[in-house]
Amino acid sequence: MLRSIKSLFVGGLLAVTMGSCWELEQEVLTGVTQDDLANSQRPELIEVLKQSAYAAVVGNWGGHGGMWSINEVSSDQLAIPQKGADWEDGGIWLRNHRHTWAVGDGAYNGAWQYCFRIVGETNLLLQQYPDVEALGAELRILRALSYLWLIDNFGNVPIIVETDRGGSPAQSTRAEVFAFIERSIKDNVALLPKTNVKTNLNFWTAHMILAKLYLNAEVYLSTTTGVPDPSKARWADAEAALNVIINEGPYSLAPAFFQNFSATNANSPENMFTLPYDANNAGGFNIHQMTFHYSNQATFNLVDQPWNGYTALEEFYNSFETTDIRKGSLREGIQFRSDGVTPVTDLSAEAGDPDGQVLNFTPRINQLAPNAFRQAGTRINKFEIPLGSAPSLNNDFPIFRYGDVILMKAECAFRLGRTADAISLVNQIRSRSSAPALTTITADLLLAERGKEFFAEGQRRSDLIRFGKYTGTWWEKPASQNFRTLFPIPLNQLQANPNLTQNPGY
Amino acid sequence: MLKIAKYKLNIHFRFGINYINNFVFFKTTNPMRNYLQKLKALALMSVLMLVGIASAFAQGREVTGTILDATLKDPLPGVTVLVKGTTRGTTTDLDGKFRLEVQPGDGTLVFSFVGFTPQEVAIGNQSVFNMELAEDIQSLQEAIVIGYGTQDKKEITSAVTNVGSEQFNRGNFTNPTQLLQGKVAGLSVTRAGGNPNSQPTLRLRGISSFGANQSPLIVLDGVIGASIDAVDPNDIESFDVLKDASAAAIYGTRGAAGVILITTKKGSSKKGVSNVTINTFGAAEMATNLIPILSPSEFVARGGTDFGSSTDWRKEVTQTALNGTVNASVTGGFENTNYLASVNYRNNDGIVKGTNRETLNTRFNLNHGALQNRLRMNLGLAFTQTNTKDVNGEAVRYATIYNPTAPIFERDFVGTGESAGDRDIRIANADRTFGGYFQRPLFDYFNPVAMINQQQFTNDIKSAIYSYRLEYDLSDKFTIATQFSEDRLNVNSTEFFSWQDFNSGFGRSGSAGQNLFNRTTSILNGTIRFEDEIFDRMNFTFLGGAESQNFKENGFSASSSRYLFDQGANNLGAGGLRFGPGTGMGSFATKAVLNSLFGRANFNYNNTYFFSASVRSETYSGFGKENQTGVFPAVTAGADLTQVLDMGPFSQFKPRASFGIVGQLPPSPTLALGIFGNGNRIPLNLAEPINSVFVGVNQLSNPNPQLKWETLQELNFGLDYALLNGKITGTMDYWRRDISDLLFNTQVPVGAPNEFLPGNFYTANTIWANIADLSSAGFEFLLNVNNVKLGAVTWNPSVNFTIYKRTTIDRIGVGSISLPEIRQATPGSPGQNNNEIVWNRVGEEIGNFYGPKFLGLTENGEYILSTERPEEFEKLGNGLPTGDFGFSNSFTYKNWDLNFLLRGSWGHMIYNSFRGFYENADGASNTWNSVVTKNTPTNPLVTSTPTFSDLYLEKGDFIRLDNLQLGYNLPVKSASISNFRLYAGVQNLFTITQFSGVDPEVRWTDGGNPLAPGIERRNTYFVPRTWTAGLTFTLK
Repeated sequence: MLRSIKSLFVGGLLAVTMGSCWELEQEVLTGVTQDDLANSQRPELIEVLKQSAYAAVVGNWGGHGGMWSINEVSSDQLAIPQKGADWEDGGIWLRNHRHTWAVGDGAYNGAWQYCFRIVGETNLLLQQYPDVEALGAELRILRALSYLWLIDNFGNVPIIVETDRGGSPAQSTRAEVFAFIERSIKDNVALLPKTNVKTNLNFWTAHMILAKLYLNAEVYLSTTTGVPDPSKARWADAEAALNVIINEGPYSLAPAFFQNFSATNANSPENMFTLPYDANNAGGFNIHQMTFHYSNQATFNLVDQPWNGYTALEEFYNSFETTDIRKGSLREGIQFRSDGVTPVTDLSAEAGDPDGQVLNFTPRINQLAPNAFRQAGTRINKFEIPLGSAPSLNNDFPIFRYGDVILMKAECAFRLGRTADAISLVNQIRSRSSAPALTTITADLLLAERGKEFFAEGQRRSDLIRFGKYTGTWWEKPASQNFRTLFPIPLNQLQANPNLTQNPGY
Repeated sequence: MLKIAKYKLNIHFRFGINYINNFVFFKTTNPMRNYLQKLKALALMSVLMLVGIASAFAQGREVTGTILDATLKDPLPGVTVLVKGTTRGTTTDLDGKFRLEVQPGDGTLVFSFVGFTPQEVAIGNQSVFNMELAEDIQSLQEAIVIGYGTQDKKEITSAVTNVGSEQFNRGNFTNPTQLLQGKVAGLSVTRAGGNPNSQPTLRLRGISSFGANQSPLIVLDGVIGASIDAVDPNDIESFDVLKDASAAAIYGTRGAAGVILITTKKGSSKKGVSNVTINTFGAAEMATNLIPILSPSEFVARGGTDFGSSTDWRKEVTQTALNGTVNASVTGGFENTNYLASVNYRNNDGIVKGTNRETLNTRFNLNHGALQNRLRMNLGLAFTQTNTKDVNGEAVRYATIYNPTAPIFERDFVGTGESAGDRDIRIANADRTFGGYFQRPLFDYFNPVAMINQQQFTNDIKSAIYSYRLEYDLSDKFTIATQFSEDRLNVNSTEFFSWQDFNSGFGRSGSAGQNLFNRTTSILNGTIRFEDEIFDRMNFTFLGGAESQNFKENGFSASSSRYLFDQGANNLGAGGLRFGPGTGMGSFATKAVLNSLFGRANFNYNNTYFFSASVRSETYSGFGKENQTGVFPAVTAGADLTQVLDMGPFSQFKPRASFGIVGQLPPSPTLALGIFGNGNRIPLNLAEPINSVFVGVNQLSNPNPQLKWETLQELNFGLDYALLNGKITGTMDYWRRDISDLLFNTQVPVGAPNEFLPGNFYTANTIWANIADLSSAGFEFLLNVNNVKLGAVTWNPSVNFTIYKRTTIDRIGVGSISLPEIRQATPGSPGQNNNEIVWNRVGEEIGNFYGPKFLGLTENGEYILSTERPEEFEKLGNGLPTGDFGFSNSFTYKNWDLNFLLRGSWGHMIYNSFRGFYENADGASNTWNSVVTKNTPTNPLVTSTPTFSDLYLEKGDFIRLDNLQLGYNLPVKSASISNFRLYAGVQNLFTITQFSGVDPEVRWTDGGNPLAPGIERRNTYFVPRTWTAGLTFTLK
């Protein structure tokens, strides 16, 4: 009997030991694995993979709470006033506008993640397809575009390339990131196609990235954050890159300004690189939800009720000349139902609101917080909102357009002292929008011109910094310190990567 | 109960390996083949041994007899009859009969049965032995179901609690675990609000994980991980709750949150007797504890928009729910067979109109003993069909805060100075657009009556469990068993939004969808059990086994929108839009395998010293490749000191200690892999956007080949005691848990190289990894006083309480990732979307509220807060309890009985969302109605716009009369009726609390998020008070 007990134990022990040798293969029944993708020869698969990397760029650019939001709301053009409880949201949008943000505020992490997801997607693909030369060149330039946003928003970020392995990436200085972007473009631009496909980067838009980088060299290479260093300027290099586009590229100004922002703007000859949003296939662009009043639902027969958030600053609205077509980028006045006749009402209109219950967007905003009137301020009207629009729009978002090439060249000319060239270029843009021609040019005029032209296109913060105005005062925004020209390294990222050091000042 | 438990011993005690079945099964699992040879050899050896034993009975004469229970005079099956000093013997059959060959020279027969005093009788020339065995009162016999077997309560040295059916809560329950509420120290069963379709949250000894499963593992008649829906409360015989890791370790990677073993009722084994028992009751539920709100005139006085009507919205959306339940069961037995067949029907309306739950459950349990009961077969079949109907939970919120001057229908609205023609146009417009309901396009403003009538959500849930079990006694010491079970769940959910529904979107013109979900879990195991007195007075039990489990899930969903008519969810093809917002199509499937080997040894020396050890090894396909197998050991020891010392009034004083390691699986089997899944739809040719479209391929989750189980180590010190000859019994336990390698979907530096898999890059923001260490501790106390005589009244009180040391986060981080804190839970829209209010910080407890302190109000009613800067926010309280108690009482007086349970929790704070948004007299008071609770500051009224602070945190401490039932047993002297009982009861009779929200019940999670406890959301279903009346009778 004892012997059988012994054998039982031995048997049991054996069984337990063997148990640890069992290997169970995980079956994947939904989705595919890295092994299924590596080294495929199928051209359509490689193409879809490439476009999937671009999908990370489409990502959350055009939605509330990411890159676009923090770049616009922290500027002198847009704010999200707090309407009672509505839009208090832990104070993060008030802090964004007043430049008093905290390192833990979520929107900055969202922007960081947006950029670095592009880096991850491109690196993963580069690692999988090391031998497809043209693909590699395009992906490296796509990665450089992401770093252009990173150098602008966060400055000192880790440079991650496809050959990196394991561990937390080290942080690079802004100057190193600058050099990395420059090298990425120069090494790869020759391999990029010269075809005009607006949803992918090409030879011309690679030059645009380079031009943007050089245009801001004074800022990016300055050793004092927020104080442009003229000795680091690269105006001529920027202009040279722009000249490649102007002289050889297939682009021209669209005859009508708003063609660039229509629901069918894929056809605009001016748009160079756009994010191909689509209500059904590629959602995420919902500027109409972000800006319009709840009751505007009836104006556009919107499926979802808008959120009554982003509102243009009064001073900005008033800066437009009356003839300037671009003034239509802002929605002002009494709002009607979709019949165009019946006024829309806001039954919740505050007792003190002089506009009463008939919805009326007056440029004046009584206060930023806490009790801005619900219908105060003009709204973003730049993008066409077809009747019956879904929560996501079909309009493609222009990241680069030819109008910017012209105004950037004008700026280079101005900075290099060629005033006449600058005026002539600026007037090309102004005449398209029926704005009276300029006869003189100043830095302020150039900045204002860019403001009117690129309102709500995600460029304002960068422009203000380059022109030294970002830390200044406007409306309810007090002067801010220079270190605020860089956003903080987000708290979550500091926690996830011990090699990161917070930007100076925070 | 005692009686039945003993029979259970006989029927379920024995386990072994059925090598034939195992062979068939294991053939399909290649890696196990070698091991199988061993099993076969073992089994063969056992069979040979059996033959050897049998051959010893070659000569001699036969003796027979019947063994009866001395008190009940019922036959006792399973009694061991042994020739003293030999290993020869037998056991009695279901009729208590035995037959045994005795040899010349055999002196004495020993009759023994667990729970009874053994008897010895000299054989002499006697050939018929009709004996009666008396219950062994001293030993406090009670069979406790533990993993893969039962154990005598006196031998148990882990923290295990048994709750038998006579201790269950009485009332109208839709979920079996509600029977246990307040009964087991350390087990929290909570369900806030009274939606019949919402399932209770179960937590055993607090929070053991915040990334993986936190609910105890359910084992239903040996079926591991069974759906709780598969059993009707009426069919449950008992619950055994394995609380500590030493008890749960036999369930390996799934026991970290504790284990609840459910045993269903079996038939009686009395020969030729069958009974039909009918239990039926009706219940009426009424909404109670509605939060006070402003009347229409008060609302207007506070600045509210006056629409001229007066509507009590909560009256419009609630109803008195009338519910009915019928249970019918047939139990019986003949020869070596017994059975139970039952049908349970429950129909429960919710107190919110449009909510309903209807369940039909059938169960068939069959036990049969063959070969003189040496071969026992158990069959368990259960099928449950549940149909649920639900409304949008937000309707409950709008019913509380929608404008009280608004009419339900547009036709009842009177526009000032409106012409008759304009009025007709307006009404016709509303009829066309909103189905006639009064709707206004304001922010977050939806007519709740329209919402509950124009949206519908249903589930059609089919749950089936088949379980087959075979046991064979190789000898009186060896028993082999095998069990195969399959647990199938099949859910068809639908959603429907009317084309006139305003809430789901204007002009969307309706949408509908269906979702199918199937889950099949199959389990095959084989066990061998050995029991003997291996040395003098040293009883030894060994259990060994192997088990393989297969998990399969798949699902399919489709939805479309733009309908011309309200055609419900059964006409998806009528939706014009198939891709885009409110539409979609998808399917998925997963598969996983879990293979286990386990063993347990129990030693009992002289009923005084007890020791046991167990180990389980598990290999799971869902772990990362580098960590596929985990080993989970446990040891326990205890001693009943009354056996060796004079302990005065104590008849039992058993200190015990145990230590165990137990695990927890990742919540899904594919988390270790980086799955490339569906991204945006990408047209390759922009000129041909439809015909060139593909779906993008993105790595949607980051791979982690190191992913493994969570590990929970628990040290438990306990004391089982009995005083005054069993008049007072109880237990105490102190436990401490250390959880390591906690699974969590943690933040990674997206874009960086994946440090768990070189060559990969993080493309998602998070990765599933083993990242955290937690610790917690607690003290549990149970005291029963048995049969207190108060004149003619007999009183059985039982009190239990638990004191928790809340779960503390000791560390969060893995590799280069470290997270000093995880912030969770924003109050929501409007205006409180970005401020997380629960900050889970390393070194602190889970569930701390952080925010500004409310210091007071200015004369104008504006907040004075300690700070507005998040970096200066302070710890304001915690959402988890520091204690629970349950006080059960049972009174009997002649034929009357009265049972009630007082239950409560203390130490938890609750964020009252209704106050947090709607009590201030601010700019929003013109839109939404305001709540005025007993905790609302009224002098002055708060005029600031609502911002989170501790003003809205309230103490959740409560005492509730949870359920009460009065019963009367009719004295029946009928030939056909053996029992007739009438009863009536009430649930939630009263609650004593300072909390001013809907329900002070502990919120362990926030919509499933365990890192945000203590939040009462605005969609909390109303709390009912339930009155029941019913009758039970048994037909012979």
